[in-house]
Amino acid sequence: MGRLLITLALLAGLPAAAHDFDFSADLRAAAASGQTSYLNGGLGKLRFDGNHDGLQLGYLRFAYRGNPTETLRFTAEAFAWGDSDVNAVDLTEILLSWRPVPHSAWRSELKVGAFYPPISLENRMRGWRSPYSLSFSAINSWIGEELRTIGVEYNLDWLRQQQGRAFNFGLTAAAYGWNDPAGIVVALRGWAVHDRQTSLFGRVGRTGQGIINGRTLFYDDIDGKVGYYAGLTANYRGALELRALRYDNRADPAEEAPAIDDYAWHTVFDSYGLRWTVNEHWTLIAQALTGNTAAGDIAPPNYWRFDSWFALGSWQRGPHRLTLRFDDFSMRQLVSHFPGYNHDDGDAITAAWMYQINERWNVALEGLRIRSTLAARGWLSAPTTADEKQWQLALRYDL
Amino acid sequence: MHTAYVMACTILPALGQAAFTAELSVTVLDNAGRPFAGAAVIAEPQTPAPRPNASPRSEMDQRDLQFVPNLLVIRTGTAVSFPNSDQVWHQVYSFSGARTFQLSLYAGRAHPPVIFDKPGLVTLGCNIHDGMIGYIYVTDSPWHGRSDTNGQLTLQNLPAGNYTVKIWHQRFNDPAASLSRSVTLTDDQAVRSAFLLKQNLKPALHSHGNEKQWEDY
Repeated sequence: MGRLLITLALLAGLPAAAHDFDFSADLRAAAASGQTSYLNGGLGKLRFDGNHDGLQLGYLRFAYRGNPTETLRFTAEAFAWGDSDVNAVDLTEILLSWRPVPHSAWRSELKVGAFYPPISLENRMRGWRSPYSLSFSAINSWIGEELRTIGVEYNLDWLRQQQGRAFNFGLTAAAYGWNDPAGIVVALRGWAVHDRQTSLFGRVGRTGQGIINGRTLFYDDIDGKVGYYAGLTANYRGALELRALRYDNRADPAEEAPAIDDYAWHTVFDSYGLRWTVNEHWTLIAQALTGNTAAGDIAPPNYWRFDSWFALGSWQRGPHRLTLRFDDFSMRQLVSHFPGYNHDDGDAITAAWMYQINERWNVALEGLRIRSTLAARGWLSAPTTADEKQWQLALRYDL
Repeated sequence: MHTAYVMACTILPALGQAAFTAELSVTVLDNAGRPFAGAAVIAEPQTPAPRPNASPRSEMDQRDLQFVPNLLVIRTGTAVSFPNSDQVWHQVYSFSGARTFQLSLYAGRAHPPVIFDKPGLVTLGCNIHDGMIGYIYVTDSPWHGRSDTNGQLTLQNLPAGNYTVKIWHQRFNDPAASLSRSVTLTDDQAVRSAFLLKQNLKPALHSHGNEKQWEDY
């Protein structure tokens, strides 16, 4: 395959560097206290827990970027997380994007494949990683868990900065399928703060353990209905980025899929984001997300509302970066055909120090405290209220 | 200092070696009176200067996901090469009226230079990295340059005559009319001209820095 791509590239007259193989490794030393992690069958909100800390694999990342033609770009991102997922190495994104060189201030871009919707202002490194901290905000942790656009996205950018104006504007619209289980995790487990993205053929947490049905394969299509999102962006001189997006997977909550023993989850939310690069040292990011999800064949179906926001301040000087983030989150079940009503309320404080040793090596130290009350913990005979803490020291390598 | 738009033209004693030509020294100060470095300074003779025989050469590099220099001032007809010093590929384009072009994806020094044969402002972009914006100011005048860290540029060996002196920078907010003025130069004289901006500067355009791993989602 690689040889074929290289041959094609040579034929197309592209430089050899038009193939970009990429590898990253992240080794962690973790110390955690709190409940058993959602990854290990519990309802703790952290990636690591007291029984799964010490020396851990953060991830191994394998990626490829290549340009089969001048305006087509192929991207594939795969991760190994070192926990017991379905596949030891699995894709998180695979897409083809077409972005012709603009001849006027209007530029189009078309993406086809499986990729992230343009919501996070925090995850701005290859592989949807964050340069600010090890763990993502609650909002972006959830997006990494449950959302992937498997379909088509169109972007229209109005490049007014090229015309001497202050603002660029952008419009984004997407149609997608295979995202019908989206909502199940935030409704049952509530919010979490971590960096464990769900792979395209993977699951959230251990198979058959915990509150989430072990057979729920993510990124599955149950009802055959096409979902959409549409959003607007504005960028002021590269310093201020504003985004708003409406997401609706248009799933039919009454549709049952015996193969995965679950319903389609109808998830709708609005997302807002602001990123302000104040100067060469300071970056401020804030995002808010408010939405609801419904599932079940009894009318009205089970219904949950979920909301979260975070504010992040990050200061960089030379190889040092310090980040402080506050997350607030809630989830509330309003209609229930189960014996109880689930709800989740809490907040999190994350402080991180990232240090770039050289171009390839980084170290990071992160302290995280998340306090929450989650009704579902009672169903597992665990205390509903938890005050969870986690220290992580990471050694990271990027090829 | 903050309220008035200051224009100072001082005629100083002639300099010995600059026989039968004049020297023009331009200073650019922001609205707080601090020197502004990197502004384009152009002295356009009101009788056009003859075009040079050979095509001048210049360079606009791409380094750490930025155009370097961010603003290049060149004479019409200059051949500008666009090396890529980054590890990642760039795809440079312009749809400005003065010069529309695109360079296919590349690393290193893959493309022949681009000739800028019309005066005007050319805004450069990279189709892979929207945060990269660069400027090429193309002028018919051979007397041009950029202000130094003292906000100064001294142009030498200008023939006597009437000139339009212009300054430009992508961060200026002042109206174009106040960034241009007429200056008369006579032989063997050194003239100083200071521009004091009245408006606040536009914020500087931010770029991510040099990490290959940056990619906005």
